[in-house]
Amino acid sequence: MVDTATVSQMAHLGAGIAIGFGAVGAGLGIGFATKGLMDAVSRQPEVAGKAFGFFLLGAALSEACALYAFVIAFMLLGK
Amino acid sequence: MEHWIYNTNILSHAVSLNLDTIFTMWFAMAVVVIFALLATHNLSLVPGKLQAIAESIMKFFYGTLDTMIETENRKHVPLVASLFLFIVTANLMGQLPLRLIHLKHGGELASPTNDINLTAAMAVIVLIYYVTMGIKAKGKNFLIHDFSFTGIVMALVEVLEMFTRPLSLAIRLFANIFAGEILVSIALGAMAYFLPLPIMLFEILVAFIQATVFMMLTIAYIGSAVKEEH
Repeated sequence: MVDTATVSQMAHLGAGIAIGFGAVGAGLGIGFATKGLMDAVSRQPEVAGKAFGFFLLGAALSEACALYAFVIAFMLLGK
Repeated sequence: MEHWIYNTNILSHAVSLNLDTIFTMWFAMAVVVIFALLATHNLSLVPGKLQAIAESIMKFFYGTLDTMIETENRKHVPLVASLFLFIVTANLMGQLPLRLIHLKHGGELASPTNDINLTAAMAVIVLIYYVTMGIKAKGKNFLIHDFSFTGIVMALVEVLEMFTRPLSLAIRLFANIFAGEILVSIALGAMAYFLPLPIMLFEILVAFIQATVFMMLTIAYIGSAVKEEH
């Protein structure tokens, strides 16, 4: 049997891996969202205000993916 | 982050209540209700200051609903507006220095949305509302439009979405607020007087964005439930 100390160490390792890989996806998502905003604004500067609202919405939605990973990591830390 | 948990028995079922969440939730509700009462008690054709603010808030809801739902959109405004106002108030409450008050068992007064029970309850309300609206709009064709292979697969996907949509709504709001609190407490440990301040300002932005996201997704779900199929 695996003793509880090893389980706890592995859970902490897993928490780190979880939040790390989760952050990769969210970072890519926000990066693409920023790219889209920059493209739109440089093509049509007058839509900047409206596009920024949609950008914030999209960034918040893709940021949520990292936060799902954060919740999982926090649950693992409690093990 | 810790909750003041009170264990009790209701009809011989063990129930644990997060008392700090209940208290802060009632506080946020009271703020919204008092604002609504103050804003509407002396309505006039030439709006006063408070009425002008309330009217511009309502205009925001009407505009969003008009752009996202095609038919009969304004009857959804009570749910959508109260969700948005409550979530904004609840999220912003987390930046008040209420944590100086120490509660039993390490509980602390912060925003009520840092408790997944509250956000899950709101997500379930949204689920019930949009399913009801869809059934009202389409009757028995709400799930299955036609008895073909594609129709049945789409109905199964729809049933799956009934579970994943409330789950993602609840976890998104909860995790944003919870992560903000963790971030502030980590910054507090790293550099006590300067580092938390920009993060708390960012959290104010997050409070508005998350309330908007919750509202937008609610409207999108209602819109996809009531829209006409071709």
